[in-house]
Amino acid sequence: MSAVVLPPFWSLVEAHGGELLVHARRMTGDANGEDVLQDALLRALRAYPRLRHAEHLRAWLYRVTTTTALDHLRARRREVLTDEPPATVSEPEHYDNAFDSLIAELPDGTQAALRLRFVEDLDYEGIAARLGCSSVAARQRVSSAIRTLRRQGVPA
Amino acid sequence: MKSLPARLLDSIASAAVREGLADAVYTRLETPIGRLLIVQGERGVVRVGFPEEPVDALLAQVAARLGSRIVASDRELGNTRDVFSAYFDGDDERLDLPVDLALVRSDFRREALTLLRAEIGPGQVVTYGGLAAKVGRPRAARAVGSACATNPVPIIVPCHRVLPGGGGVGGYAGGPARKRLLLAHEGAAVG
Repeated sequence: MSAVVLPPFWSLVEAHGGELLVHARRMTGDANGEDVLQDALLRALRAYPRLRHAEHLRAWLYRVTTTTALDHLRARRREVLTDEPPATVSEPEHYDNAFDSLIAELPDGTQAALRLRFVEDLDYEGIAARLGCSSVAARQRVSSAIRTLRRQGVPA
Repeated sequence: MKSLPARLLDSIASAAVREGLADAVYTRLETPIGRLLIVQGERGVVRVGFPEEPVDALLAQVAARLGSRIVASDRELGNTRDVFSAYFDGDDERLDLPVDLALVRSDFRREALTLLRAEIGPGQVVTYGGLAAKVGRPRAARAVGSACATNPVPIIVPCHRVLPGGGGVGGYAGGPARKRLLLAHEGAAVG
Protein backbone atom coordinates (compact mmCIF):
# COMPACT_ATOMS: atom_id res chain seq x y z
CA MET A 1 0.00 0.00 0.00
CA SER A 2 1.28 3.49 -0.85
CA ALA A 3 2.14 6.05 1.78
CA VAL A 4 -0.05 8.78 0.28
CA VAL A 5 -3.74 8.75 1.02
CA LEU A 6 -5.59 8.42 -2.25
CA PRO A 7 -9.37 8.72 -2.45
CA PRO A 8 -11.29 5.49 -3.10
CA PHE A 9 -10.96 4.95 -6.85
CA TRP A 10 -14.71 4.74 -7.43
CA SER A 11 -15.28 8.25 -6.10
CA LEU A 12 -13.10 9.49 -8.98
CA VAL A 13 -15.08 7.40 -11.44
CA GLU A 14 -18.35 8.81 -10.09
CA ALA A 15 -17.07 12.38 -10.12
CA HIS A 16 -15.33 12.41 -13.53
CA GLY A 17 -16.62 9.36 -15.45
CA GLY A 18 -19.18 11.34 -17.44
CA GLU A 19 -16.77 13.92 -18.80
CA LEU A 20 -14.12 11.27 -19.46
CA LEU A 21 -16.61 9.34 -21.59
CA VAL A 22 -17.34 12.50 -23.58
CA HIS A 23 -13.59 12.93 -24.07
CA ALA A 24 -13.08 9.28 -25.13
CA ARG A 25 -15.98 9.54 -27.61
CA ARG A 26 -14.67 12.73 -29.13
CA MET A 27 -11.27 11.18 -29.65
CA THR A 28 -12.31 7.77 -30.93
CA GLY A 29 -15.94 8.07 -32.05
CA ASP A 30 -19.26 7.37 -30.36
CA ALA A 31 -19.14 3.64 -31.03
CA ASN A 32 -15.75 3.16 -29.37
CA GLY A 33 -15.90 5.58 -26.47
CA GLU A 34 -17.20 3.16 -23.84
CA ASP A 35 -14.66 0.43 -24.64
CA VAL A 36 -11.84 2.94 -24.66
CA LEU A 37 -12.95 4.43 -21.34
CA GLN A 38 -13.22 0.99 -19.71
CA ASP A 39 -9.74 0.17 -20.92
CA ALA A 40 -8.46 3.53 -19.68
CA LEU A 41 -10.00 3.15 -16.22
CA LEU A 42 -8.52 -0.34 -15.83
CA ARG A 43 -5.12 1.07 -16.79
CA ALA A 44 -5.61 3.82 -14.24
CA LEU A 45 -6.57 1.27 -11.60
CA ARG A 46 -3.38 -0.68 -12.31
CA ALA A 47 -1.27 2.42 -11.85
CA TYR A 48 -3.26 3.89 -8.96
CA PRO A 49 -1.31 2.38 -6.03
CA ARG A 50 1.94 3.69 -7.54
CA LEU A 51 0.85 7.33 -7.61
CA ARG A 52 3.07 9.38 -5.34
CA HIS A 53 0.61 12.14 -4.59
CA ALA A 54 -3.10 12.71 -4.64
CA GLU A 55 -3.12 15.97 -6.59
CA HIS A 56 -4.46 16.64 -10.09
CA LEU A 57 -6.20 13.27 -10.23
CA ARG A 58 -8.76 14.54 -12.73
CA ALA A 59 -6.00 15.73 -15.07
CA TRP A 60 -4.22 12.42 -14.60
CA LEU A 61 -7.37 10.50 -15.60
CA TYR A 62 -7.67 12.70 -18.70
CA ARG A 63 -4.05 11.86 -19.62
CA VAL A 64 -4.63 8.12 -19.15
CA THR A 65 -7.80 8.33 -21.26
CA THR A 66 -6.00 10.32 -23.98
CA THR A 67 -3.13 7.81 -24.12
CA THR A 68 -5.55 4.89 -24.26
CA ALA A 69 -7.54 6.59 -27.02
CA LEU A 70 -4.36 7.19 -29.04
CA ASP A 71 -3.37 3.53 -28.64
CA HIS A 72 -6.84 2.57 -29.80
CA LEU A 73 -6.56 4.81 -32.88
CA ARG A 74 -3.14 3.32 -33.71
CA ALA A 75 -4.45 -0.23 -33.38
CA ARG A 76 -7.45 0.64 -35.54
CA ARG A 77 -5.20 2.12 -38.21
CA ARG A 78 -3.09 -1.06 -38.27
CA GLU A 79 -6.30 -3.02 -38.67
CA VAL A 80 -7.40 -0.85 -41.56
CA LEU A 81 -3.99 -1.07 -43.26
CA THR A 82 -3.88 -4.86 -43.09
CA ASP A 83 -7.51 -5.33 -44.10
CA GLU A 84 -8.20 -7.23 -47.30
CA PRO A 85 -9.45 -6.42 -49.83
CA PRO A 86 -7.92 -2.94 -50.02
CA ALA A 87 -11.27 -1.47 -51.01
CA THR A 88 -12.25 -1.47 -47.36
CA VAL A 89 -9.34 0.80 -46.51
CA SER A 90 -11.07 3.93 -47.57
CA GLU A 91 -14.47 2.84 -46.32
CA PRO A 92 -15.46 5.42 -43.76
CA GLU A 93 -17.65 3.10 -41.67
CA HIS A 94 -15.33 3.38 -38.68
CA TYR A 95 -15.67 7.11 -38.62
CA ASP A 96 -18.58 8.91 -37.23
CA ASN A 97 -18.53 12.15 -39.10
CA ALA A 98 -16.91 14.13 -41.83
CA PHE A 99 -14.39 15.70 -39.49
CA ASP A 100 -13.07 12.30 -38.48
CA SER A 101 -12.62 11.07 -42.02
CA LEU A 102 -11.04 14.40 -42.96
CA ILE A 103 -8.28 14.03 -40.40
CA ALA A 104 -8.03 10.22 -40.49
CA GLU A 105 -4.74 10.23 -42.43
CA LEU A 106 -2.93 12.53 -40.00
CA PRO A 107 -0.68 11.21 -37.21
CA ASP A 108 -2.60 10.19 -34.07
CA GLY A 109 -1.16 12.93 -31.86
CA THR A 110 -2.14 15.50 -34.46
CA GLN A 111 -5.65 14.08 -34.74
CA ALA A 112 -6.02 14.31 -30.99
CA ALA A 113 -4.83 17.93 -30.97
CA LEU A 114 -7.26 18.85 -33.75
CA ARG A 115 -10.20 17.19 -31.99
CA LEU A 116 -9.39 18.96 -28.78
CA ARG A 117 -9.11 22.29 -30.60
CA PHE A 118 -12.09 22.11 -32.94
CA VAL A 119 -14.46 19.55 -31.42
CA GLU A 120 -13.90 20.20 -27.73
CA ASP A 121 -13.11 23.84 -28.42
CA LEU A 122 -10.24 23.94 -25.91
CA ASP A 123 -7.60 26.67 -25.85
CA TYR A 124 -3.94 25.72 -26.23
CA GLU A 125 -3.42 25.58 -22.47
CA GLY A 126 -6.26 23.07 -22.24
CA ILE A 127 -4.96 21.01 -25.16
CA ALA A 128 -1.49 20.97 -23.60
CA ALA A 129 -2.89 19.73 -20.31
CA ARG A 130 -4.78 16.89 -21.97
CA LEU A 131 -1.89 15.81 -24.18
CA GLY A 132 0.82 16.30 -21.61
CA CYS A 133 2.86 18.72 -23.74
CA SER A 134 3.64 22.45 -23.59
CA SER A 135 1.08 24.91 -24.92
CA VAL A 136 3.65 26.04 -27.52
CA ALA A 137 3.90 22.45 -28.76
CA ALA A 138 0.11 22.15 -28.80
CA ARG A 139 -0.19 25.32 -30.91
CA GLN A 140 2.49 24.05 -33.31
CA ARG A 141 0.76 20.72 -33.68
CA VAL A 142 -2.55 22.33 -34.53
CA SER A 143 -1.15 24.90 -36.95
CA SER A 144 1.06 22.43 -38.82
CA ALA A 145 -1.92 20.08 -39.14
CA ILE A 146 -3.99 22.89 -40.62
CA ARG A 147 -1.19 23.61 -43.13
CA THR A 148 -1.11 19.93 -44.10
CA LEU A 149 -4.89 19.86 -44.59
CA ARG A 150 -4.70 23.04 -46.72
CA ARG A 151 -2.03 21.46 -48.90
CA GLN A 152 -4.40 18.55 -49.42
CA GLY A 153 -7.02 20.98 -50.60
CA VAL A 154 -9.17 20.94 -47.50
CA PRO A 155 -10.64 24.38 -46.83
CA ALA A 156 -9.42 24.39 -43.22
CA MET B 1 -21.87 16.43 -15.60
CA LYS B 2 -23.84 13.31 -16.33
CA SER B 3 -22.57 10.17 -14.64
CA LEU B 4 -21.77 6.99 -16.52
CA PRO B 5 -24.53 4.54 -17.52
CA ALA B 6 -25.05 1.80 -14.89
CA ARG B 7 -24.32 -0.88 -17.47
CA LEU B 8 -20.87 0.58 -18.15
CA LEU B 9 -20.10 1.04 -14.45
CA ASP B 10 -21.01 -2.62 -13.87
CA SER B 11 -18.82 -3.74 -16.71
CA ILE B 12 -15.83 -1.72 -15.47
CA ALA B 13 -16.21 -2.94 -11.88
CA SER B 14 -16.54 -6.59 -12.91
CA ALA B 15 -13.49 -6.35 -15.16
CA ALA B 16 -11.53 -4.80 -12.29
CA VAL B 17 -12.49 -7.65 -9.96
CA ARG B 18 -11.78 -10.28 -12.64
CA GLU B 19 -8.31 -8.88 -13.23
CA GLY B 20 -7.53 -8.74 -9.53
CA LEU B 21 -7.35 -4.93 -9.55
CA ALA B 22 -9.86 -4.25 -6.77
CA ASP B 23 -8.76 -4.00 -3.14
CA ALA B 24 -12.40 -3.91 -2.06
CA VAL B 25 -15.90 -3.86 -3.54
CA TYR B 26 -18.93 -2.15 -2.05
CA THR B 27 -22.68 -2.28 -2.52
CA ARG B 28 -25.69 -0.50 -1.06
CA LEU B 29 -28.59 -2.62 0.10
CA GLU B 30 -32.09 -1.50 1.10
CA THR B 31 -33.20 -3.28 4.29
CA PRO B 32 -35.97 -2.87 6.89
CA ILE B 33 -33.47 -0.99 9.09
CA GLY B 34 -32.39 1.36 6.31
CA ARG B 35 -29.92 1.43 3.49
CA LEU B 36 -26.76 -0.44 4.47
CA LEU B 37 -23.35 0.01 2.87
CA ILE B 38 -21.48 -3.29 2.66
CA VAL B 39 -17.77 -3.37 1.82
CA GLN B 40 -15.98 -6.59 1.06
CA GLY B 41 -12.27 -7.29 0.59
CA GLU B 42 -10.51 -10.35 -0.66
CA ARG B 43 -10.87 -12.12 2.69
CA GLY B 44 -14.44 -11.21 3.54
CA VAL B 45 -16.81 -8.46 4.60
CA VAL B 46 -14.69 -5.75 6.18
CA ARG B 47 -17.26 -3.03 6.90
CA VAL B 48 -21.02 -2.63 7.23
CA GLY B 49 -22.23 0.98 7.46
CA PHE B 50 -25.52 2.42 8.67
CA PRO B 51 -27.24 5.10 6.56
CA GLU B 52 -26.11 7.93 8.87
CA GLU B 53 -22.43 7.23 8.30
CA PRO B 54 -20.88 9.43 5.59
CA VAL B 55 -19.91 7.16 2.69
CA ASP B 56 -16.68 9.04 1.90
CA ALA B 57 -15.34 8.72 5.44
CA LEU B 58 -16.36 5.09 5.63
CA LEU B 59 -14.65 4.17 2.34
CA ALA B 60 -11.58 6.21 3.32
CA GLN B 61 -11.38 4.11 6.47
CA VAL B 62 -11.39 0.93 4.37
CA ALA B 63 -8.90 2.42 1.88
CA ALA B 64 -6.41 3.22 4.64
CA ARG B 65 -6.33 -0.44 5.62
CA LEU B 66 -6.95 -2.41 2.40
CA GLY B 67 -5.88 0.01 -0.32
CA SER B 68 -7.61 2.68 -2.42
CA ARG B 69 -8.61 0.54 -5.39
CA ILE B 70 -12.23 0.39 -4.27
CA VAL B 71 -15.05 -0.15 -6.77
CA ALA B 72 -18.84 -0.44 -6.49
CA SER B 73 -20.71 -3.46 -7.81
CA ASP B 74 -24.04 -5.01 -6.88
CA ARG B 75 -23.27 -7.89 -9.22
CA GLU B 76 -19.89 -8.82 -7.75
CA LEU B 77 -21.40 -8.82 -4.26
CA GLY B 78 -24.51 -10.71 -5.37
CA ASN B 79 -23.99 -13.59 -2.94
CA THR B 80 -23.35 -11.26 -0.01
CA ARG B 81 -26.52 -9.31 -0.86
CA ASP B 82 -28.51 -12.55 -1.02
CA VAL B 83 -27.24 -13.67 2.39
CA PHE B 84 -28.24 -10.30 3.93
CA SER B 85 -31.64 -10.45 2.26
CA ALA B 86 -32.18 -13.98 3.58
CA TYR B 87 -31.43 -12.65 7.08
CA PHE B 88 -33.92 -9.79 6.83
CA ASP B 89 -36.55 -11.99 5.17
CA GLY B 90 -36.21 -14.46 8.05
CA ASP B 91 -35.26 -17.29 5.69
CA ASP B 92 -31.81 -17.84 7.16
CA GLU B 93 -30.62 -15.78 10.10
CA ARG B 94 -27.08 -17.16 10.34
CA LEU B 95 -25.47 -14.52 8.05
CA ASP B 96 -22.97 -17.14 7.05
CA LEU B 97 -20.37 -14.94 5.35
CA PRO B 98 -16.60 -14.66 5.54
CA VAL B 99 -15.64 -11.69 7.72
CA ASP B 100 -12.38 -9.75 7.82
CA LEU B 101 -11.77 -7.92 11.10
CA ALA B 102 -8.91 -5.87 9.62
CA LEU B 103 -10.49 -2.62 10.83
CA VAL B 104 -10.54 -3.71 14.47
CA ARG B 105 -7.79 -1.99 16.39
CA SER B 106 -6.79 -4.33 19.21
CA ASP B 107 -6.40 -8.03 19.79
CA PHE B 108 -8.77 -7.92 22.74
CA ARG B 109 -11.51 -6.33 20.66
CA ARG B 110 -10.91 -8.79 17.84
CA GLU B 111 -11.11 -11.68 20.28
CA ALA B 112 -14.32 -10.41 21.88
CA LEU B 113 -16.01 -9.89 18.49
CA THR B 114 -14.91 -13.26 17.16
CA LEU B 115 -16.22 -15.03 20.24
CA LEU B 116 -19.48 -13.10 20.16
CA ARG B 117 -20.10 -14.12 16.58
CA ALA B 118 -19.23 -17.76 17.23
CA GLU B 119 -21.22 -18.22 20.41
CA ILE B 120 -24.25 -15.95 20.52
CA GLY B 121 -26.64 -16.99 17.77
CA PRO B 122 -29.90 -15.44 16.55
CA GLY B 123 -32.49 -15.21 19.33
CA GLN B 124 -29.84 -15.32 22.05
CA VAL B 125 -28.48 -12.40 24.09
CA VAL B 126 -25.53 -11.90 26.44
CA THR B 127 -24.55 -9.12 28.86
CA TYR B 128 -21.40 -7.00 28.43
CA GLY B 129 -20.05 -8.59 31.61
CA GLY B 130 -21.02 -12.06 30.43
CA LEU B 131 -19.15 -11.61 27.15
CA ALA B 132 -16.15 -10.22 29.05
CA ALA B 133 -16.15 -13.36 31.20
CA LYS B 134 -16.22 -15.54 28.07
CA VAL B 135 -13.11 -13.74 26.78
CA GLY B 136 -11.47 -14.51 30.13
CA ARG B 137 -11.53 -10.92 31.44
CA PRO B 138 -14.64 -10.81 33.67
CA ARG B 139 -13.91 -7.24 34.81
CA ALA B 140 -13.59 -5.90 31.26
CA ALA B 141 -17.29 -5.19 30.59
CA ARG B 142 -16.46 -1.59 29.58
CA ALA B 143 -13.78 -2.77 27.15
CA VAL B 144 -16.34 -5.12 25.61
CA GLY B 145 -18.65 -2.12 25.31
CA SER B 146 -15.94 -0.27 23.36
CA ALA B 147 -15.37 -3.30 21.15
CA CYS B 148 -19.08 -3.26 20.29
CA ALA B 149 -19.26 0.51 19.85
CA THR B 150 -16.45 0.32 17.26
CA ASN B 151 -17.53 -2.97 15.63
CA PRO B 152 -16.80 -2.45 11.90
CA VAL B 153 -19.19 -5.19 10.79
CA PRO B 154 -22.42 -4.75 12.78
CA ILE B 155 -25.29 -7.20 12.24
CA ILE B 156 -22.85 -9.89 10.98
CA VAL B 157 -20.91 -9.65 14.24
CA PRO B 158 -24.03 -9.37 16.39
CA CYS B 159 -23.31 -6.58 18.87
CA HIS B 160 -27.07 -5.97 18.96
CA ARG B 161 -27.23 -9.16 21.07
CA VAL B 162 -25.05 -7.68 23.81
CA LEU B 163 -27.09 -5.98 26.55
CA PRO B 164 -26.39 -4.13 29.81
CA GLY B 165 -26.58 -6.25 32.97
CA GLY B 166 -28.99 -3.78 34.54
CA GLY B 167 -31.75 -4.20 31.95
CA GLY B 168 -32.84 -2.32 28.83
CA VAL B 169 -31.15 -2.58 25.43
CA GLY B 170 -28.33 -0.12 26.12
CA GLY B 171 -26.41 1.65 23.36
CA TYR B 172 -25.82 0.63 19.78
CA ALA B 173 -23.64 1.91 16.94
CA GLY B 174 -26.76 2.12 14.76
CA GLY B 175 -28.92 3.61 17.55
CA PRO B 176 -31.05 1.79 20.18
CA ALA B 177 -34.12 1.74 17.92
CA ARG B 178 -32.31 -0.44 15.38
CA LYS B 179 -31.02 -2.64 18.17
CA ARG B 180 -34.60 -3.26 19.32
CA LEU B 181 -35.74 -3.97 15.76
CA LEU B 182 -32.98 -6.51 15.18
CA LEU B 183 -33.66 -8.25 18.49
CA ALA B 184 -37.40 -8.35 17.82
CA HIS B 185 -36.73 -9.66 14.31
CA GLU B 186 -34.67 -12.49 15.80
CA GLY B 187 -37.32 -13.20 18.42
CA ALA B 188 -35.07 -12.45 21.39
CA ALA B 189 -36.79 -11.70 24.71
CA VAL B 190 -35.72 -8.23 25.83
CA GLY B 191 -36.92 -6.34 28.87
